[in-house]
Amino acid sequence: MKKTLKIVVNGLEEAVDERTTVARLVEVHGEGDVHLIVERNGRFVHPGTYESTRVEPGDEFELFHPDFGG
Amino acid sequence: MTDATQDPQGPSLSPGERERYRRQIIIPEIGEHGQERLKAARVSVIGLGGLGSVSATCLAAAGIGHLRAVDCDRVEPGNLNRQFLHWTPDLGRPKADSAREKLSALNPEIEVETVRLEVTAETVEEAVGDSHLIVDATDNIATRRVLNRYAVEHRIPLVFGGVAGFGGMVLTVAPGDSPCLECLFPGPDRTEDREIGVAGPLPGVAASLQALEAIKLILGAGSPLLGRLLLFRSLDMTFREVLVDRDPDCPVCGPARRRT
Repeated sequence: MKKTLKIVVNGLEEAVDERTTVARLVEVHGEGDVHLIVERNGRFVHPGTYESTRVEPGDEFELFHPDFGG
Repeated sequence: MTDATQDPQGPSLSPGERERYRRQIIIPEIGEHGQERLKAARVSVIGLGGLGSVSATCLAAAGIGHLRAVDCDRVEPGNLNRQFLHWTPDLGRPKADSAREKLSALNPEIEVETVRLEVTAETVEEAVGDSHLIVDATDNIATRRVLNRYAVEHRIPLVFGGVAGFGGMVLTVAPGDSPCLECLFPGPDRTEDREIGVAGPLPGVAASLQALEAIKLILGAGSPLLGRLLLFRSLDMTFREVLVDRDPDCPVCGPARRRT
C-alpha cells in the first residue's frame, strides 16, 4: 500500500505520495514556467536539486512566478 | 576591480551641497563623510522605465556624484502610468534624453551621463562603463542575466528589482559573497509573449528599495539583501523574504566557474 504524507502547497494542505519530489510538484503546479520560484519552509530550492529533493511530512511550499517587469 | 564598498577619499562638499544634503548628513550612518562617498560613487541605472525612473531620481537627489543612465527606447503613451521621469510632452523622445533633462534639473551638482543603447552581451561593457555599482532596472530576464554575468565577472555589486501586477521583488548581488541571479534563474530565457501589467505606483516601491540598497552598499551601512529575496505583495500589503543559498553548480558564480 502506498504511503502518503501531508504537505502544504501555496497555503493548501495536500496528501502526496511519500516519494514525491520537488520536480513532481513543479510539474503539477508550475504551469510550465522555467523560472518558477520554489520556496520550501522559507528557503529557496535550487532548480538543479528538484529531481533529487523529496518532500517531507509537514513541508510548506510556496511556488510562484518571478516578477521580471520594470 | 571595482567595489562599491571601497572607501574612496571622497571629494569635499561645497556649502551648497552641505545645505542640499543636510537631511542626509545629519543621519549618523551617513554624515559628511558618507555624503562625500556618495559624491564619489559611480552608479549605472540600466533601464529608464518604471523602475529606472524612480531609482535614478532617488540616486540623483541623494547626491550620487556620477550617475549613468542607460536606455534605448523612446517614450510611449503606455509608459506614462509608471515611468515618472517621462511626461506627456516627452512622448516620442528618447528616454535617455528625457531622463538627462529631468535628472540634471533635479540636481545640477552631479554628473548625469546618459547612454542610448540596447544592452546585450556585446554592448554590456559600454553600458556599464566604469561604474562601481549596477542598478538592474530592466524589464526582461534575458537582459537581467546579461547584466548579472557581467557584474559577477567584474565583481561589481548589482541590485536587482522586478515588478509585475501588484507585486515585486528585490535582491542584491555581491559577487563572490552572495548568490547571483543565475543561482535563482538558471533556466533558459523566457520570452514574454504578452505585456506585463504593472500598477502605476508599484515600480516606485521596488525602485526606492533598490536605491536604498545602492546607497547602503556605497556607505557600507546596514545589511544588504544578500541571499535574501525580498518579496512584496501590495494587494495584501505584505513584505517577506525567501532565503537563498549560493548554487555550488552555478555556471556564473559557482566554484567551477571561478576556477576558469
